[in-house]
Amino acid sequence: MSETCIISTTNLNLWYHEKHALQSVSMRIPKKKVTALIGPSGCGKSTLLRCFNRLNDLIDHVKISGEITLDNESINAASTDVVTLRKKVGMVFQKPNPFPKSIYENVAYGPRVHGIRDKAELDTIVEQSLRHAAIWDEVKERLNDSALGLSGGQQQRLCIARTLAVEPEVILMDEPCSALDPIATAKIENLIERLKEDYTVIIVTHNMQQAARVSDYTGFMYLGKLIECGKTGQIFEHPKEELTENYITGRFG
Amino acid sequence: MAEKFHTELKNLKTDTLEMARLGRFMLRTAVDALIRQDAELATSVVAQKEQIHEMEVRIEEHCYRLIALNQPMAKDMRVIACTLKVITASLRIGRYGKSIANTVADLSSKPHIANLMSIPHMADLVLDMVDDAIKAYETDTLRYIDDFSSRDDTIDALRHSIFREGITYMMEDPKNISRCTHYIMVARYLERCADHACKIAENVQYMETGERVEIH
Repeated sequence: MSETCIISTTNLNLWYHEKHALQSVSMRIPKKKVTALIGPSGCGKSTLLRCFNRLNDLIDHVKISGEITLDNESINAASTDVVTLRKKVGMVFQKPNPFPKSIYENVAYGPRVHGIRDKAELDTIVEQSLRHAAIWDEVKERLNDSALGLSGGQQQRLCIARTLAVEPEVILMDEPCSALDPIATAKIENLIERLKEDYTVIIVTHNMQQAARVSDYTGFMYLGKLIECGKTGQIFEHPKEELTENYITGRFG
Repeated sequence: MAEKFHTELKNLKTDTLEMARLGRFMLRTAVDALIRQDAELATSVVAQKEQIHEMEVRIEEHCYRLIALNQPMAKDMRVIACTLKVITASLRIGRYGKSIANTVADLSSKPHIANLMSIPHMADLVLDMVDDAIKAYETDTLRYIDDFSSRDDTIDALRHSIFREGITYMMEDPKNISRCTHYIMVARYLERCADHACKIAENVQYMETGERVEIH
């Protein structure tokens, strides 16, 4: 990968109790590109994703060795402020999880936590974030309505807007479309394409066609190891590793 | 679902092999008809044109349907891409067989000039190349095609030699012009068939390795 790298892991290992969930994973995530992580269930792709904003810290008995850097600074160093890290590295989950608040408050919540109080400034952030998440036109007349009244696809785009509101550098997406219908999925995929103009996106997906459609780079994981990582066209046209070939052609998994 | 798709892919290859063998058979039969000056045999080749065309349409549709319904990737995708090229090449080989068969009637009234020059030998070499290209596709084995570049050079040299020899007989006696023109055309058709065998070989290489090669 010749592009500028924003996140890099070197010999990253992770254990849940005795289970060695990530084994010597070394990879580079290029800046302002979409990188997809694929692999069968339990291969470690979500675990790897959660390493990038230290969400695994919330789980007991997790041990990590090796190095992860964001903009050349160690993510796991004692001096790293996790709140700042999670501001830089936002996350969108499998199931849309809006707060039980209004649409406006969902988006304004993050900036408020980070100290923005000015109403006009918050209004601007909310509008820009909703516009970037391609949902503004659908909600601009009902910003004070509950977010829980939105459809699943709209809720997921609202969650993306909520992530964008704190101006992250990287957006992690863990199966962002698996709970959505094909039309809502297409909207999220179109959005991902636009997001990479300003952000780095890392997406975990079970749907290989989706990985092929939306990503620039793809990493294939199997039993905790990164088997192969390369340009998406190469991975899906002629992967170098037989394991990758067998997985993407449906011979296992 | 993957199992069903892979069974369909196998069936696709079986149908394609049947079509490739029909193209090869049309060419072989046409050359035999030419050598034996057997106009009836030549007519049977012409009659197979419709059959091979129908096979091509059917297999092509099958390829598109498999792509639309399964979004194949990696080797699966390359097998289908290769198959689309193999059927085109096989149709052309069959059609050149038909073109050679069309010359038989004109060339059956008198004995062949110089025993057809090198055409029977050239035809054997071309048919061997077609055979090996088909075998490589059938068995996913590249060793059948790894010497195709030099074999194609031999075919080109034979076509040139037949051309020069034909010109010589034409200059000796203008009554030979019509027959020798046919011979030169037949040599050209055979050379094109070798080129199509090379196209199949290039695509089998892609199917197997994902690498594009050009066989000159």
